[in-house]
Amino acid sequence: MKRFLTALALASIAFSGAADAKDFKAGSKVRIATEGAYAPWNFTDASGKLDGFEVDLYANLCERMSVQCDLVQTAWEGIIPALQAGKFDAIMAGMSITDKRKEVITFSRSYMGSPASFVVLKASPLAGLSAGLDALTLAGVDAKEKAGLDSMKAALKGKTVGVQISTTHENFLNEYMGDTVTVKTYDTQENLDLDLVAGRIDAALASLSYWVPLLEGEKGKTMAMVGPKMDGGPFGNGVGAGIRQDDQELADMFTKAIDEARADGTISTLSTKWFGFDGTPKE
Amino acid sequence: MTLPDWMLLLQWGDAGWGDEMVRGMLMTLAVAMAAFLLGIVIGTLGAALKLSRYMLLRFIGEAYTTLIRGVPDLLVIYLLFFGGSMALMAVARVFGYEDYIELDAFAIGTIALGTISGAYATEVIRGAVLSVPKGQIEAAKACGMSRFLLFRRIMVPQVARFALPGLGNVWQLTLKDTSLISIVGLVEIMRQASVASGSTQKPFTFYLAAGVLYLVLTAFSNKGFGLAELWANRGVRRA
Repeated sequence: MKRFLTALALASIAFSGAADAKDFKAGSKVRIATEGAYAPWNFTDASGKLDGFEVDLYANLCERMSVQCDLVQTAWEGIIPALQAGKFDAIMAGMSITDKRKEVITFSRSYMGSPASFVVLKASPLAGLSAGLDALTLAGVDAKEKAGLDSMKAALKGKTVGVQISTTHENFLNEYMGDTVTVKTYDTQENLDLDLVAGRIDAALASLSYWVPLLEGEKGKTMAMVGPKMDGGPFGNGVGAGIRQDDQELADMFTKAIDEARADGTISTLSTKWFGFDGTPKE
Repeated sequence: MTLPDWMLLLQWGDAGWGDEMVRGMLMTLAVAMAAFLLGIVIGTLGAALKLSRYMLLRFIGEAYTTLIRGVPDLLVIYLLFFGGSMALMAVARVFGYEDYIELDAFAIGTIALGTISGAYATEVIRGAVLSVPKGQIEAAKACGMSRFLLFRRIMVPQVARFALPGLGNVWQLTLKDTSLISIVGLVEIMRQASVASGSTQKPFTFYLAAGVLYLVLTAFSNKGFGLAELWANRGVRRA
């Protein structure tokens, strides 16, 4: 499915470039897409209203860019082809900035860091898994980090690890542990959680921003986070707004607004409000 | 007395998802009905093509049913959804219209599902046409009926009767296929359930509720088709 969508996205640029570059400036109309089903990034409340970190942030950024924004709710599957087709101008849906995605779209700078971590059931033998590290940045790995990574790999050998499809976490598993663990992919994070609870997988890999609120809640009572918080490398460079490559000036406008929001503490406040930790991205 | 969790989640109004889920069900029903009707129209045309005496027309009908029935439904929907709006915008650009054109999600969903259910309906209707005894057609011609009168008096009532059980099947297929069109942004049962479960972290509650809603729809439509069959078979002796 992922490969098909990527192909579709590429095809859409190749033979039509249906969405021609628009001129974005102060006062322009910008349509921003979000999924509305990925709490706490973006979700829908019981009255049908969108809410969440990105729903707060987009309003703030649009004000800084002085553009008129429309928030469009769309399904995660096919969100990139839909951007290419011009159904909206930017994606703010917890989308990590990766090299693979950069082949087809461009991004603003990151507005949120995206550390990831393994989660297992508290009753699982893996519950004691530790790599002797708190945090692990996968760019420029030093000897200690290499040892930590190897010990994690050894502990997970022969296990089944679940991950949401088309995510940076899937890329990490395939790249770093694909030869020793069985990678099981899921269309949604919820289905992944269900299988973890049901014991069909030994561990799950997802971002901290998803795990922290979940583990505080009723559903996460039997789960525990294990191993270091991993960042960089295949996990990408945080989460940013996805934008068509033709619309570089819109990406620059977002970048400028995000830098302002980082500097004055807006992102720190919002990420603490929604995620329970300050995820202001580094330089 | 406090209500259990799932009842609180599914209550009516702004505090719960009950009204949203029921609205999703109505949307499912609306798309399914529109697509099913479109499918019957396409199916009738398709059957006419496949039963035509001209080879080219037969070939077109054959190609349509083979293609649609042989390719996953989801793929047909993707192609129409992404390809459709890109094609439309490409055409619009030729005429100097640069803005974004929003294709109505309901219309796209209906067209996509109608195209799919039409392929199945084609086969059902073709089968029903072939079940009308040849002797009756010859007799009608011998009586001097015009082609239209023959169609109206001899073919339609009997084809409808023979086709009903098969069309009931196509209806159920279409009804469940609506779950695939959540990707076009239409908020039907499945999309609403996945939004609600993603937002509340309570997947079981909402997917079970979705299952119940589908069952309600299929149970009622089974009853409906049963009554329709009784009506169509009135005056026909049962063995």
